[in-house]
Amino acid sequence: MEPIAGVEDDRLKLALTRSAQGDSLAFAELVREHQGMVFSIAYHFLRDRALAEDLAQEVFLELHQGLDRIQSPAHLTYWLRRVTANRCIDQGRSKQRRRELALDDAPEPVAAEQPADPLLLEKLQQSLAGLPEKQRLMLILRFQEGMGPAEIADVLEIPVNTVKSTLHRSLADLRRGLTRKIREVRYAFF
Amino acid sequence: MHFSEDDLREALKRKDPGPDFTQRVLARVEQAKTKGKPAQSAKKNNGFFAWWQLRPAWTVAVTAVLLLGFGWGGYQYAEYRHQKQEAIMAERHEKELQEAERARDQAILALQIARSKLNHVLQQTQVPAVESDKIRRQRL
Repeated sequence: MEPIAGVEDDRLKLALTRSAQGDSLAFAELVREHQGMVFSIAYHFLRDRALAEDLAQEVFLELHQGLDRIQSPAHLTYWLRRVTANRCIDQGRSKQRRRELALDDAPEPVAAEQPADPLLLEKLQQSLAGLPEKQRLMLILRFQEGMGPAEIADVLEIPVNTVKSTLHRSLADLRRGLTRKIREVRYAFF
Repeated sequence: MHFSEDDLREALKRKDPGPDFTQRVLARVEQAKTKGKPAQSAKKNNGFFAWWQLRPAWTVAVTAVLLLGFGWGGYQYAEYRHQKQEAIMAERHEKELQEAERARDQAILALQIARSKLNHVLQQTQVPAVESDKIRRQRL
């Protein structure tokens, strides 16, 4: 597995060097490689596909303008996560987007406590959208990107202990919110 | 309701922005390049006078500095005037006090002189009349 990772790293290194020299094909390769990450962070944060795509494009535009400052593929990933996170927070502040979808918009409940249940996933996403910005972003970085508390702390420039406690609290809030939602739906249903 | 971390991972799994996303990013980069070029060349040509392009900001800054400067200077000048006036008043008061003291001393001295003269006159007037008659006769 390691040689493949090494080859991948070399490929990205080469693409990075060539992009910095103005090769647009190499830059396209970098975009293709990271577009899922950048777009998904933005999408899960904003819950709006058009806004998320616009934000992701702006992130890559900023990357193109500052390619000479990127030192390695790992640095690139870190930089992209950091810039995306900051832009998400800025976007969230400017739009005051902390919306929660109305229960009427949600699909009808079916069997609730099953793994990978579409209803559960939908409710999870809705509850996540209702969390405060920082909490939401931390959960996205933790569970979408699989980042550890130290990495999240580094990206968001906050203490590791704050990240740990916030993650803990966010999960508790998420559970509470989800239970409330399901209960409300059940009452409405019966 | 319970959910596992895997459920959360599933809910937050990466999404694909669509097949043409890369092309759209590249188009936007090209667009930014073409927009940025004239601005950059203008910046290079006017490097020395580039600050002039920021003249609204400069104007505001300079006006603010001047206003602050004048305000501070005015306040300092008013303070200086006030202190100077107070010093003059204090000096005048001191002089008046000294003059009053001198006048009082002179008045006391004059009163003392007048008293001694009056005493002398009173002593003269209280000499017995007999003695004065004798003296008068002797003179005659």
